[in-house]
Amino acid sequence: MDSNPDNPVQDQDPASESDEPSPADPNQNRTDTTEPDDPPPADSDINPTQTSESVEHNTVEPESSVPERLKSLTLQEPSSEDIRQKHVSNGSLPADFYASDEIEIVEEEEEEGGLASSSGGGGVVTWTNRSDGPPSPSSSGYAAEGGSSVASSGGVEEETEGNSDWGREKKHFHEDDGSDSWRKRKKHFFILSNSGKPIYSRYGDEHKLAGFSATLQAIISFVQNSGDSIKFVRAGKHLIIFLVKGPIYLVCISCTDEPIEALRGQLELLYGQMLLILTKSVNRCFEKNPKFDMAPLLGGTDAVFSSLIHSFSWNPATFLHAYTCLPLSYPTRQAASAILQDVAESGILFAILMCKHKVVSLVGAQKASLHPDDIFLLANFILSSESFRTSESFSPICLPRYNPMAFLYAYVHFLDLDTYLVLLTTSSDSFYHLKDCRVRVQNVLAKSNVLSEIQRSMLESGLRIEDLPSEPTRPPVERINTESISTQRTVGGSAGLCHFMYKSVYLNQFVSSDFSAPLKNPNQQKRLYRAYQKMYASMHDKGTGTHKTQFRRNQDYVLFCWITQDFELYATFDPLADKAQAIKVCNRVCQWVRDLENEIFLYAESTFSW
Amino acid sequence: MGVSSMAAGSDAMQLQLCVFDLRRGQQEGQELDKILFFYPSDCPFLTQLSLIGLCEGIITFTRIFSPEAACEVIEAEKHSHVFYEAEPDIWMVLVVEKSKDDEPVWRCEALQGVLKEVHSLFKMFYMSIYALLDKQPSGELARSHLHSFITDYLSDFQLGKKVQMPSFRDSLKERGTVQMLTVSREVALEVQSLITAISSCCNGCDSIILFQDLLVSTTLPPDDTTNLFSYATLRLTPHALSSSTSSSWSYLRKGNSTPNLSNLTLLNEHQSRSLDASSLGQNRQISSIPRLLQRDKWSKGKDGFLVPNFSGGESTPVVWNQQTEECKYLCVYQQKGITVVMLVPVSSLANGEQELVQVKKEFLENVAQRVTIVEQKLSRGWGGENAYHVSGYRYLLIDRDRSVSRATPTGKVTTLTKESLLYLNKLREEVDIEKWRWHRDNPDQEKELEVCIRAKNNAWVIAKVTRGKELYMVLEKANETLLYATDAVEKFSNRYCEGAFSMEY
Repeated sequence: MDSNPDNPVQDQDPASESDEPSPADPNQNRTDTTEPDDPPPADSDINPTQTSESVEHNTVEPESSVPERLKSLTLQEPSSEDIRQKHVSNGSLPADFYASDEIEIVEEEEEEGGLASSSGGGGVVTWTNRSDGPPSPSSSGYAAEGGSSVASSGGVEEETEGNSDWGREKKHFHEDDGSDSWRKRKKHFFILSNSGKPIYSRYGDEHKLAGFSATLQAIISFVQNSGDSIKFVRAGKHLIIFLVKGPIYLVCISCTDEPIEALRGQLELLYGQMLLILTKSVNRCFEKNPKFDMAPLLGGTDAVFSSLIHSFSWNPATFLHAYTCLPLSYPTRQAASAILQDVAESGILFAILMCKHKVVSLVGAQKASLHPDDIFLLANFILSSESFRTSESFSPICLPRYNPMAFLYAYVHFLDLDTYLVLLTTSSDSFYHLKDCRVRVQNVLAKSNVLSEIQRSMLESGLRIEDLPSEPTRPPVERINTESISTQRTVGGSAGLCHFMYKSVYLNQFVSSDFSAPLKNPNQQKRLYRAYQKMYASMHDKGTGTHKTQFRRNQDYVLFCWITQDFELYATFDPLADKAQAIKVCNRVCQWVRDLENEIFLYAESTFSW
Repeated sequence: MGVSSMAAGSDAMQLQLCVFDLRRGQQEGQELDKILFFYPSDCPFLTQLSLIGLCEGIITFTRIFSPEAACEVIEAEKHSHVFYEAEPDIWMVLVVEKSKDDEPVWRCEALQGVLKEVHSLFKMFYMSIYALLDKQPSGELARSHLHSFITDYLSDFQLGKKVQMPSFRDSLKERGTVQMLTVSREVALEVQSLITAISSCCNGCDSIILFQDLLVSTTLPPDDTTNLFSYATLRLTPHALSSSTSSSWSYLRKGNSTPNLSNLTLLNEHQSRSLDASSLGQNRQISSIPRLLQRDKWSKGKDGFLVPNFSGGESTPVVWNQQTEECKYLCVYQQKGITVVMLVPVSSLANGEQELVQVKKEFLENVAQRVTIVEQKLSRGWGGENAYHVSGYRYLLIDRDRSVSRATPTGKVTTLTKESLLYLNKLREEVDIEKWRWHRDNPDQEKELEVCIRAKNNAWVIAKVTRGKELYMVLEKANETLLYATDAVEKFSNRYCEGAFSMEY
């Protein structure tokens, strides 16, 4: 991969844990504007979190389940009480987070706009449950469908496989730490406060888990009191990972055989997702009141967290710390980038065009760069919140790697089912301006056929290992030394190649091949994903540094990893693959990716920002 | 936990080791009764209780999710706590302080290996902690035995003021395994006839024979062999007897300075003397505990038999064979480099130790001459402490089924860079975890794993696991290609491992 010294992608070290905003951050001061002294009146009828242009209809997507339909129906006529409840749910933030002058413009009448909560599907449901009982922000309308998960004898499976249903899958609300099924779940995530109050639990009702949460807090505090800090506990196949972030404690309890480093990274992302919704200013609430109950702030964001946790078992971005692009012809991407650049010059911090989890184009204001983790968390937030799909939204969000202390404002609009435009600004009153920008972008994209190209690319498959050219098209720049390997030529797949991932270190982008025949089963894919996770952890050791190559063979695969200054290649072969042939194929994969880099990677950032 | 508070007060405070019984001290105010052993013994009770409280809490907590597998490790920023459930509800916990640079210097399994070893040795002499607690429910008997035994055991890890646990520098060693001497066919036949001769000295007599610190033969099952081999290399072999000379080529032991833990142990000795304890498996009354792991307490007698001189009594030590569940007298005969450990069943001697004199006499008359012949032959073929060095390779070869290992001699391992050893330590940790998983998921299925890493410092760090055998290797001056490294392993496997790690396809 060519190095590009002018590439403006700041290498924000993923390991850096700085609590302070980056000194280079031009928007550092804007933090102040988001932390007002003058909160909106508590009984204001205006939803401070988000405005909505369109009413949420009770149109139901084809894949919606019956409870989903029921849920939508119940929402059609919110009671006056529902509207009142809105202020404490669905990502609504406490007074500390908002300036009175930041209350967003509501385009539609409140009764309608209120339905489009920032937290989408999960949050919308909560209102129907509020009229009786305690305010349980994450109470689920699905409480009764507890039988939906089947407990197996060897442990309860994780969330369903496949990428379609996670968002609407509710955590198993009837469970608590006394339930056998709860104890057997393969992977728990908890967020709690340093006073032991539960904030989030992947499974079960947080309120019922108060005792359990207090136990976790006690363990952490006990070790802290001795001047140490607990990192993990291992018991049999179970790993308990602890992450302390100021007043917030995060814990993962897993028997998924993932490496410690990977699980810790997932807790970091979970924390990042929480910051994206709340910013780090939430710490201030704990300074004022150590017993502060934070759970209501995240009320209704269950879908966001469950989709995030689901992505820990399928999306390599979660451990590669890189993003992936939708493959597009160079001119098409250029056209998209040009119009984004055009609008970005009018005071927009970042303009991002995405299709599902893939970036189509990304343009940043001068010297501003987006960390891949921020892109990932933002996309997860948008894609898992149903309301973004149905309405034009203007929502405060925080990019934790960019500036964990401050809110930005995200204008989000879905241009079609999967493609959406995100315009990020520091100004809270830019809604109309951003809306105009969006209209301009949308017109240009439509005229230049970019949208149809995007859809075509989505339908077409990506890199298929069967298409790996049999002969390098030009001499490779850097090769693994293969002096003694045989000269027998093989095509991709026949040397036993099953899959590969390639990360461009400079671009912070990765590309992975489609899953081919031996890996069609989602369980096999998840197993391979976990094998990559292990390989990544093994190659990137914080203590001892990054290794150069690794060959690993077990019953299931041969895994090959090759890391240079420019790229990281992870390739999977049949367990009986011949080493020499595998090395040769790896060289060809690298060459192939380089040949295609204009289509599979985004260079626009460097081209347009300077 | 209080570990750090103590660390601040004393340089030596790098390690804590405790043994506690979760069934005891259930009533509030009686928590101290849980503690059966704590090192250092001068640690304040509050600190001791604090550590045990944490451990007990974590054990209970992890059982919520993992009822079938107990807590193994608590990793904190500054300390690692390694757990071993020695007997049901009786836990041993080792707390080690991390160095400032927070390097992953230990391997959990290596530290657990220390706990397992001391417990196995303890069982060899005292049957079990349970047995001692049964004998005297107040726990004093168990406490005094554990105290002298573990304290004596730890003296082998003492370097100056600090107790040094196995670290990444010991990645090419495997505790709990036996190192064998390879002998020619001719010598093997001699050894065989020697074994026959020994067993004819007395009915049911078992033996293990060592040359230097390497095992030549055994008539015991693997577990008992491993225990006795460990004890022999710790206290009985010519090298162990002259342990005051510091240089050591033993695979697992460091050279040690004179132990200075003894003053701590005197305390307990006083207590134990007041107890009318009887040794196990027999009705021999003793006035105090023989401290069988005390250093420099075996000396060579004129007749070639080693004479025990333990502060707890001078009678012949008795060991407990786990496999046969039998008590046996430990008689050790040594001639130059060869050590013959004879195990004479207590039950076979009607008059106890008096009859043992007869057995020894018979040995000297009928067997000693054969020992001399075997010793001469072994000495002639002995390549010295670097006999198993393979030029260009730094390796560790383990046969789990037989509990046997062979490795690059310690002196040669030290030529490796610190980085390479750290990489290997990390890789071994990964392999350990993988092996545990296999064992849990499907213990009967044979699993295979091969990992070749070209590390940051250009060394090849290699692990191969196949059919119960493990090979770990560091190649520092190897060519850069994976194929070269593979070829090097292949050659090694064919030449030294009977092709166990060679490719089959």
